[in-house]
Amino acid sequence: MEPEVLEAEIVLPTHLNFKKIQMYEKYPKGQSRGRHWKHLKQIIQAENYQNHPENEPNYVNIESPPSMHPCKRICDITGFEAPYFDPRTKLRYANTEVFKMIRSLPNDYVQRYLALRNAAVVLK
Amino acid sequence: MPFISKIQRQLDYSSFASDVPIVIDNGGSYFRIGWAGEADPRVIFRNIVQRPRHKTTGETVTIVGDHDPALLKYFDCTRSGPRSAFDSNVVYQFEIMEYILDFGFDRLGADQSQIDHPVLITECACNPIQSRCRMAELLFESYGVPSIAFGVDAAFSYRYNQRLGICKTDGLAICSGFMTSHAIPIINGEPVYEACCRTNVGGYHVTDYLKQLLSLKYPHHMPKLTWEKVEDLKMEHCYIAPDYASEVRIFQKGDKEAQDKTRCWQLPWTPSPVEEQPSEEELARKAALKERQGQRLREMAEAKRLSRINELENEQKGLEFLLQQLKQVEDYEVSSFLSVTGYSSRQEIESALAKVTQSLRKSKGEQVETEEKAESSMAEKYNLINVPDDVLTPEQLKEKRKQLFLKSTTEARQRAKQKRLEEELERERQMKLEEEKRLENPERYLEELHAKYQELSERVEQRKRLKTNGNNTNGNNNVPGGVGRGERLNAAQRERMRLLTTAAFDRGKGEDTFGIKDEDWQLYKLMSRDNDDDDDEKPNEDEAELLRVSSRLQEIDPTFFPKSESGSSTSEPPRFRPLTKEDFQIILGVERFRCPEILFNPNLIGIDQAGLDEMVGISIRRLPTKERGLEERITESILMTGGSCLYPGMAERLESGIRMIRPSGTPIQIYKAYDPILDAWRGASVYATAMQFPQQTFSRMDYYEKGEDWLRQYQMRYSI
Repeated sequence: MEPEVLEAEIVLPTHLNFKKIQMYEKYPKGQSRGRHWKHLKQIIQAENYQNHPENEPNYVNIESPPSMHPCKRICDITGFEAPYFDPRTKLRYANTEVFKMIRSLPNDYVQRYLALRNAAVVLK
Repeated sequence: MPFISKIQRQLDYSSFASDVPIVIDNGGSYFRIGWAGEADPRVIFRNIVQRPRHKTTGETVTIVGDHDPALLKYFDCTRSGPRSAFDSNVVYQFEIMEYILDFGFDRLGADQSQIDHPVLITECACNPIQSRCRMAELLFESYGVPSIAFGVDAAFSYRYNQRLGICKTDGLAICSGFMTSHAIPIINGEPVYEACCRTNVGGYHVTDYLKQLLSLKYPHHMPKLTWEKVEDLKMEHCYIAPDYASEVRIFQKGDKEAQDKTRCWQLPWTPSPVEEQPSEEELARKAALKERQGQRLREMAEAKRLSRINELENEQKGLEFLLQQLKQVEDYEVSSFLSVTGYSSRQEIESALAKVTQSLRKSKGEQVETEEKAESSMAEKYNLINVPDDVLTPEQLKEKRKQLFLKSTTEARQRAKQKRLEEELERERQMKLEEEKRLENPERYLEELHAKYQELSERVEQRKRLKTNGNNTNGNNNVPGGVGRGERLNAAQRERMRLLTTAAFDRGKGEDTFGIKDEDWQLYKLMSRDNDDDDDEKPNEDEAELLRVSSRLQEIDPTFFPKSESGSSTSEPPRFRPLTKEDFQIILGVERFRCPEILFNPNLIGIDQAGLDEMVGISIRRLPTKERGLEERITESILMTGGSCLYPGMAERLESGIRMIRPSGTPIQIYKAYDPILDAWRGASVYATAMQFPQQTFSRMDYYEKGEDWLRQYQMRYSI
């Protein structure tokens, strides 16, 4: 290792005195880790919130409901208020210049713009 | 930059007694660790881990937090990016969490056999029990921690600011963090989780939105837009608009105010070296060289001409001599004499002589006056034309016909020549006229020319579009402004479709008269596909005129470039233009307030949840106790905390937003936390020094005896 890397101590040492179980003991090298971390969705499912009283706060029921305000429609490209909607690309746009531009956009850019507001076509 | 990592190793670990708690604020973006009772955390670093491969030794190492990017050049980071232990705001990857805790304790200076200090660590509101259990397990088993307490960062922050006198005992904490934003009502200093609410939008989403928008706007500079850089841009330039619609209208108008609000980031750019103009001397030298070469060529041509003249003269002399000799030769000996010379008859020699004389004259530069001769001999050449047919013999008739033909072709040739000449004159006259116009008023002339060019090119484009439109079914990237995906056909195709449909549906209706007239059969020809494009064979005059105008424009206007055929998109800089400073600028206009706007309108990024201002209303609605005056007390003391509260204009916007959803006359008071980023840790630090703190912790024994369900019920009391 280079001296400046060692000096900055950016690499975490593998053995730490204060630990009772070292990382290499927990996850031996060369062995398949076999660990599969539950993702948040799985964690929530395992919590079985439906078995608990409804008024007890939990991770799921403290979430905000959908907004009561009317959905703000803004131009996907410029951010201006968008009175128009292009049925071909499904993008919202503010004026003719933007319209010209979105019609000349390649499809992957259109999809990326749509993905910004989670409206892209997702192929599974 | 307000966030700076502190990762120096602390050396006074052993000077702390074992009952001094270690306080950890385990935030989504930053990990802060320090000692209870101190004003600031000792160690702060980004809550990320990367496991790159060391380039020379090839071993995989663990690097926690953010470091000087210069040091990372020794590592191959391409295979694994920075990873976080968090999913939303819940810790789920405990291997990563362990690396982070390792690094944190290591930098705090831990060197004994275990961490013999109580630990107070923050978690999100209503943390799922699984995550809480695993965290406790990790701390107990790997580090040997004697006891643990879990608390919520927003509550600590509120308590801390309450202590500072910024907010009151009853109130509401709005905590906008890295991945999520919470609104938590606080009554008598205790958070009321039943009434809290969470929206899954935070600083991460703002940065990501900005990054995506900028990389879509500047695809060329994508590699420059790293996460860290965009985060810096966000912190430096983003603000919350008091009202999005009116703010955006300022930019739409694009006047001075908008210009003042636009920020620009100049990327490093060095102007491409300008080609040096050759010096006078150089130019003169080059001209002289050219001149010399020209001279040499001219000399060579002259020499060649002279030698050819010489040759021709010799040939002429030889032929003349031959003729003279031939005169002296007797008639019967002619053939034998000629067989030696290679000519077959006297006439042939004469014609050869004439040819040589003519080419000699030509090469000497004399005018060849064959035509005049032809003119003069016109009368005798076409002597038979004016003679009536009946006086001529059959041979003569044949001769006459030949003469007639010859005469008409010569005349036609002459007429064509005349016409060409006239056209040339006309063109010259027009050129002169235009030149005069140009000299008279150069600007106007140029303008007119440009206008004409525009009009012509539009017309040509239109025609092209009409023609191609029908064939171009997936025309997403054809001419800009094209109409529809093959929604319209051109006229010929439309006609064809009409014919086909009538042919298909007209059968059997009334009398079948098809085929009586010959024109009926033309129908099939029209129907066949091939006749689509036979009307565009001839180049139309518009195109020719366009070509002329554009060439003329190119002559006089150095800034003019004809439009490319493909109609390339405007965002791409044309290749032949040298890159300028402006090409390396990242302009932040509407983006400055469009990105943080998602905190108030998560709909903009497709998250269907209430924004920050509505969350306050929802939280108040969810309150379990409907005590009189409580709602007013709460709205009178709203505290903003968390990193995403640092945007300028946040408090004003929140206030106006809350005012809209609360009954009129409600007292609303928004306070900004003393330090929105560090207050959670500071509050926790103060809390951990309290006499009753040990009662709020639980030990390893408690955990194993009482089990998971007990941990679910575990709730810290903040007001001790």
